[in-house]
Amino acid sequence: MKKLLPAANAIIAVIAGGLVLLGTFFPTLFGDLRQYLLQWAIILAALALWLGVLNLLSVHWKKVRQKETGAGYSAVLVFFLLGTIAVVVLDIFLWSGGPVGTWSQWVFNNLQKPVEISLLALLAVVLAYAAARLLSRRNNTFSIVFLASAVTVMLLMAPVYFLKTPSILDPLRQAISGVLAVAGARGLLLGVALGTVAAALRVLMGTERPYGG
Amino acid sequence: MNQVLDLLGDLLGLVFVLVCLGLIVGALVTGRGRPGVNLREIGAFQRLRREVGLAVESGRRLHISLGRGNLFGTQAGSALVGLTLLDRCARAASSSDRPPVATSGDPLVAVLSQDTLRGAYRSLNVEGRYDPSSGRVGGLTPFSYAAGAMIPAQDEQVTANLLCGHFGAEAALIVEAGERKGSLSVASSDSLTGQAVLLATAQEPLIGEDLYAGGAYLGAGPVHAASLRMQDIMRWVLIAAMLLGALLKLGGVL
Repeated sequence: MKKLLPAANAIIAVIAGGLVLLGTFFPTLFGDLRQYLLQWAIILAALALWLGVLNLLSVHWKKVRQKETGAGYSAVLVFFLLGTIAVVVLDIFLWSGGPVGTWSQWVFNNLQKPVEISLLALLAVVLAYAAARLLSRRNNTFSIVFLASAVTVMLLMAPVYFLKTPSILDPLRQAISGVLAVAGARGLLLGVALGTVAAALRVLMGTERPYGG
Repeated sequence: MNQVLDLLGDLLGLVFVLVCLGLIVGALVTGRGRPGVNLREIGAFQRLRREVGLAVESGRRLHISLGRGNLFGTQAGSALVGLTLLDRCARAASSSDRPPVATSGDPLVAVLSQDTLRGAYRSLNVEGRYDPSSGRVGGLTPFSYAAGAMIPAQDEQVTANLLCGHFGAEAALIVEAGERKGSLSVASSDSLTGQAVLLATAQEPLIGEDLYAGGAYLGAGPVHAASLRMQDIMRWVLIAAMLLGALLKLGGVL
């Protein structure tokens, strides 16, 4: 049984993956089957969402119980996670609003949004500091080109009050962001696409089995 | 006419996939996919291997951040590579007092990370070391995930943070949290924004397809080395096709 289950997992994954791939290339023949398989996968993903929430809750509850480092933050997370679930459930059953009901939206707009925006603001500081540190860490041509082009494009794109970007600098900005950056980005994306195809083929060949195979 | 063009496009896609598959099988059969054959040096993987050894010796742990990509789109590729690297790290650090911890922003990937860890320990006959909380969901939105992944990076005696998956600009926060504790950051993303940010913030950034070479460099098996070989060949084919297209366009043929 110990050997049979992983083999069965692999066979199911390879067949399902192969059918979805065929459905992409031959939609008239395998399109419906592909749609069914994807719908099943989406239902499983929705179930996994619950598992993920429970996992998050159990990890942080364990931290609170064992009084590990940062247990206070974990307690806040557990409190607000349960509180948010309670508000949405009440919104569904008492106020008929659901996840987009008044109170659910209130939680989102007044608690989650401000916290995420504050992290975004922190990110700006972190990135500015990282840019300043880059040359001391990797003082090479690529770092200099990277920094110089980033600063140049930012300066040419940022709105500066009472000043207009001199039109003679516009072609420079266009050349960097519209030609050089796009060419580089396409090169990187080609590499990413090939890597993705390779990873998918390994799963279809049954040699990569992250699903307990 | 449109239907014929669509069919041609589909067939071309299928041919592309089959050629890729053929090249992988060919590299396996001819032995050109042997692990370690013709691999250029990538400093990030050398340092990562060293840090895994150090983590075992010093009783500290590795944090593998799998990003917030799901398995339903193009981000699945990087998530799968992340899971492969998690498997390699878990095997290499299986004798450590503190096994690696994996965080992800997608519940399905988190479930797979638990399965990967359990599978790695089971195959080494040390299943007792498996702790379900070592494969965890960090958060479900980009910034909540970053905040969740910052916790192990900062508080759990981590010697190296390996970021491998789909990240946006928020990856900088995770890397910075690890940096403040003096841990190594090896980081990669399949998104362009993530790569730009990680180039500036991480100690060892992996750019472009370097991310997908991880399995071959960490000895995940001959298929990884063979698929790396396929990527190298197909890259040259695509470059040649693009140059040919540009020349034909210049010549007024296209």
